[in-house]
Amino acid sequence: MSELFGPLLDAYDERRRAELVAAYMAVEHAAAPVPEVRFPALREPALRRTVAAMLALSGRTLIRYGREWTSGYHDDVAAELAADPACAPPPQDRAVLTLVLVHAVAIPRAAGLLDEDTWLSPYPAAADELRRRSQLPVGELEAALRRLRTAGLVTQVKAGADDAGGYVPGPQFHRLTPGARRRLQEELILAAGPDSPLAAAIRARRRAARTASDEGEQA
Amino acid sequence: MSWSPQILARARARVLGADGTGAADPAPPGLAAVADGPRAWLLPSWPDGATPALLEQYEVAPMPLDRAGQARRVLAAALRCCWTALDDAPWPGEPAPVAAVLAVYAGMTRGDAALAGRWATGELRRLADTGWLLLDEAAGTVRPGPRTALWREESLGPLRDLLRRMPGPGAAAP
Repeated sequence: MSELFGPLLDAYDERRRAELVAAYMAVEHAAAPVPEVRFPALREPALRRTVAAMLALSGRTLIRYGREWTSGYHDDVAAELAADPACAPPPQDRAVLTLVLVHAVAIPRAAGLLDEDTWLSPYPAAADELRRRSQLPVGELEAALRRLRTAGLVTQVKAGADDAGGYVPGPQFHRLTPGARRRLQEELILAAGPDSPLAAAIRARRRAARTASDEGEQA
Repeated sequence: MSWSPQILARARARVLGADGTGAADPAPPGLAAVADGPRAWLLPSWPDGATPALLEQYEVAPMPLDRAGQARRVLAAALRCCWTALDDAPWPGEPAPVAAVLAVYAGMTRGDAALAGRWATGELRRLADTGWLLLDEAAGTVRPGPRTALWREESLGPLRDLLRRMPGPGAAAP
């Protein structure tokens, strides 16, 4: 709506303005990060700062993958939204998504098949595995998977010649900030190996961070 | 960095897609409020009237949709039943029985009618999850969703022509 974006856009001529709007819509709505070569407003740092300011009006931020860009929630805004019960997905959706992440990402990563910093995976979590492990009635599991697919949080992989198909993390996983990717990795370690030395180190670091921020508030 | 309540309200609206509120509550700037009797739906709105259709011009793939063709046909079947006064806007439209929508959809497809009905029911739920339709499963009715209120008048012509050509629920009986 122009009343919202006007103060940021009114200074630009028509062509620049259209480039800014195109870049904004592309990072907000494309399935994957978009190449800066196709969007002048992502390529030029001054214009890119304006795109970032447009995103910040809704608590969003630019996320960079080399020369490609997408958008996601700023870490503080994501924390606020997660604390709002209306915004958090229901527990069964979160449980099913966690199972998909364990099977499609954590296990292949532990086997050295996936990079440290990626949440996209070519190794689907098998549908029967989800049925067996989720402890959900099949109707609820199907409903959770439908909502997760619609939200772009999981993608269904059709059965091929060599595999039975299943689910991998969806395109929304492009939209995690570096901080969110790190926290998700830590959460997965805490869930999969709560007694491991790595989990103990994560808990210790979080305790230290909390203490430091409490002291900061008191000072 | 601090985040104003208005920024958080816009962030929340983006998460929720179509968020219900009281009709009397003012909409935060940057959100479109779609009035619906005693309540209103808050929808994110975009700069300079752009829509995600702009991605096509740049040959960038939008968020994938499972069975997009089927979703479009089910939405068309629902609009055929709920948007009966075609000279008016599609919103708010009229509630129609889900059974009538399924009958229209069955008339558009070949093959197993029971299977088509099950697919279409799932599709109605997905369209309701995303604000394109409002589905009342207990009452067995469906009506247009608040997103249809944001369709611009100049974009409605082809849709009206399509709906005029589609057989209605009465015509679809075998």
